[in-house]
This record gives sequence, structure tokens and C-alpha cells, in this order.
Amino acid sequence: MTSFINYIYNFARETWLRGFVNSKSKEDIADIPDRFRDFPKVEKEYCIACGSCTASCPSPNAIKLVRDSDNEESQGLTFPIINKSSCIRCGFCAEVCPSEPKTLYCGENHFIQEDFNIIPSKRKYVIDDYLCIKCHKCQDVCEVGAIDLKNNRMVVNQSKCISCGKCLSVCPVKGAMKGVFIANLEEQKEIIQLVVDTLESYIESKQDDLKEIHDDKLFLSEIDFEPLFKDSLNIINDEELVYEVLEKAINRLNIRLVIWDSTLCNKCQLCVGECPTGAISFDNEYDEIVRNKDKCLRCSICYQTCPFSAIKYYSAKFNLDKKDSGEEVIHITVKESQLAKRRA
Amino acid sequence: MLKTLKDIVRKSSIHVCIVNCGGCNGCDVELVACLSPRYDLEQYGIYVHNNPREADVILVTGAVTEQWRENLRRIYAKAPEPKVVVAVGNCPQSGDVFAQEGGRVLAPVSDFIPVDAAIPGCPPRPSEILDAILAVAPGAIAAKGRIQDK
Repeated sequence: MTSFINYIYNFARETWLRGFVNSKSKEDIADIPDRFRDFPKVEKEYCIACGSCTASCPSPNAIKLVRDSDNEESQGLTFPIINKSSCIRCGFCAEVCPSEPKTLYCGENHFIQEDFNIIPSKRKYVIDDYLCIKCHKCQDVCEVGAIDLKNNRMVVNQSKCISCGKCLSVCPVKGAMKGVFIANLEEQKEIIQLVVDTLESYIESKQDDLKEIHDDKLFLSEIDFEPLFKDSLNIINDEELVYEVLEKAINRLNIRLVIWDSTLCNKCQLCVGECPTGAISFDNEYDEIVRNKDKCLRCSICYQTCPFSAIKYYSAKFNLDKKDSGEEVIHITVKESQLAKRRA
Repeated sequence: MLKTLKDIVRKSSIHVCIVNCGGCNGCDVELVACLSPRYDLEQYGIYVHNNPREADVILVTGAVTEQWRENLRRIYAKAPEPKVVVAVGNCPQSGDVFAQEGGRVLAPVSDFIPVDAAIPGCPPRPSEILDAILAVAPGAIAAKGRIQDK
């Protein structure tokens, strides 16, 4: 028994002594985890001096672009320098740096990694959080569990999505669930531009009819869908995509038109000074007002300024519809703006 | 003999007063983390008192606001010699994100009181703070004390 107590006593004394002497923390407390975002490191050879790092920096004085002095052999390098006493280590500069490879490096965790989906699909399914009513119908119908509630938002996990499109058909809100065509975005923009241009030129060609309508009356017209569809197919040869883009563009389009009646114009030049973009100018040689359509913002300031009602302002809406014969047409509704009249 | 004893005592027992003169509190949270078992400030003989009258080290956090302009000088005057001022974080050094155009901060702190050391970071890691205090405070306090003794 005594030997046991003795043993305990000796053991305790030894560990206590050891603990007392070596009580301080080891080096491990200074260890920095791999994912820690330290001050950005600058590789100045890669810098293209675009200035996006300085623009993205939330802290004033933290980062600035400097230039080495020139020497006989070459021009001095331009590169960013980090002021450590202002830098907040947010990593924005490294994130926006467009040079390849990156000039600024600030922890691997912060680079944006694109969602990767192995299924070849034209569409990317996204949920518009603004329209979503969080009914969870898409979540219930999704067979692979790609849709989830994250931070009180319904989110499609792109790495799980198999692009079956069931969520699109089950969504009760029009436009909340979107199957967006992700490839050829520029061509899609071209198609929309084509739609706007054709519809606008069509309405402008009906100027004489437009003059007939007064007050709250509407001008109704129709235009065939087929030629527009064929023209669009020349841009992208994909009927499904083109039809959807055209349908959405036409149904949402709200064109504003500024139409000039040069017979009423008294050349007072009031509109010239008022135009915010300088689209209207006076041609001294021909003694007439010239309007540059490409610069025009359709802001209606000229229409509101004109004392002789030479300028008319219309807003037009469109709807894609099927006739009984199966032919598709675009219904056009044009309404004259009542802005100037109401003010008077 | 007395001098070496004083040196040892000054080096091994450091009393700290934390002064937040108008920041976001992030650095204060990191300072509190220094007290946690992982970093355990007291194993190095550093004690946080938050009383300038017993302080050897004044840790300043935050960009200086209008109200702190005079109070900072008063706190500095209250601390007994020898004393060391350490600026923790970016705010006392440059005003950091608060130093915007039209902002109302009076950073840097060194305009008001002499600063012996500065720790960059927004906020700095607890281990960085600890490193800085240990690197500067014992030596500086002992050296200042020796000058004062003469």
C-alpha cells in the first residue's frame, strides 16, 4: 500500500514538475491554417496595369499602382503595391485580377470556381429569387435533389442538375424558374436587336395611320411572325432556342417611339438644347432640324419641350399569338403618350 | 542587483490596458481570443486589467473619433512610466476603411500619443498580436525603465 502511495506521489511530482517547467504553449499556436487569407502577394512581372485591383479595393490607401523608373534596356514595370497597414485581407484584388497567371495571389479559397455540370445541355436552370414564392414544388419534383433551400432562397445545385426540365413545367409562377440558354449569348442579343429594329421600322412606316388616332385611342395592327423567325434562324440555326428567345422578347417588349412631323416644325430650336445626349442638331445649310436616331435615348424630353406638337411620342406593346388557321402573328398596340397634354 | 531584479520583474509581468477609441470591435474580439485557453495570454505573464493606472502596455484599437481625441491623451497620461503603446489592427495606423473621403476619423493614433509598435491586419490574428506584444513589450519596458531609473 505504501509503495502504491509512493508511486502515485512520485508520479504526480514528476508530471507536476514537468508541467510547471514546460507549461508554455508550443509553436503550434502560431500555425496559420492553409485556407487563411493573408496579405496579397504580388508577382509584379505579370501585371498588365489595368487598375481593377485598385478599383475593387474597399479600403482607401490599401493598394496602389506604381511604376518602376525606366532604365536604358527597358521601360519600368507597372505593378500594385499593398499597404499592409490599410489592407483588410478581403482578397477582392486577387479575385478580380484578370492577368494570366494572376498578379495578385491571396489564398486559394477565394478564387471563383465555376459550377461544373457533366450533362451536355443547352439550358442552365436558375431560380429567380425575386419572383420565387418558395412553394417547394420544384424541390419535390426534382429527382436528383438538386434544388434546395439555402439562406432562405431556392437554389439549383448545378453540379447535381441533370437538366430534365421537370421543375420548369411544375413552377406555378411565370418566369420564376428559368431555363436559360447559356451558350451564344451574343447571338441572342443580336436576335433581340433584330426584333426591335423590324418592329420599330414597321410602326414608323405606318406614320400616316398614327396621325389619325387621338386622345386615348389605340392603334392596332398585325405583322407576320414567319419572316422574323426565318431571319433569326440565319443568326442561330436552332428552332427551339430561336422561338423561345423571340417569344420572350416580343411579349415583354415595350418600344417607345419618337416620330417627327416636319411640316409642323417652326425651327424654334428649343429641342436642340434640351436633348441630353445631343442627338438633335440644327443643320444651317438645309435649314432643318436633324435627329440622330442612334444617339436618341427615347427620353421624351423633346416631345415635352416642343411648343408646336411637331414631335409625337408613342409607346408600343406586342403579343405573339396564333390565328385560327395556325398562322402565327404579332399583335401590335400603339398608344400615344398623354404626358404633354396632361401637363397642359 | 536591484536593477537586474527590476528588469526581470518588468519583463515577466506585463499589465495590459485595452483602449478601443472608435473601431468596429473586430480587433477587440481577437484580443479576447488571446485570453482563451488556446492562446492563453497569462502563461507569458501578461495580464489584462483594463485600468490605465496599472498598465505597462496600452493596446489601442480603432480609428480615433472626435470624442476620443482628448480622452486618449488623458488615458496615456494616467499610465505610469515605463509604458509602451501598441496599435492593434489597421485602424489606429491608417484609419483603414473608415478613412473615406468626408469621414470623421482622426487616425493615425500616433498624432495623439507616441506609438511604439503597430500590428497590421484587419483584424490581426491572435497569434500575431501575441507575437508583437512579446517581441516589443518586455524589452521596451525594461529599457524605458532603465532610462527612467537613471
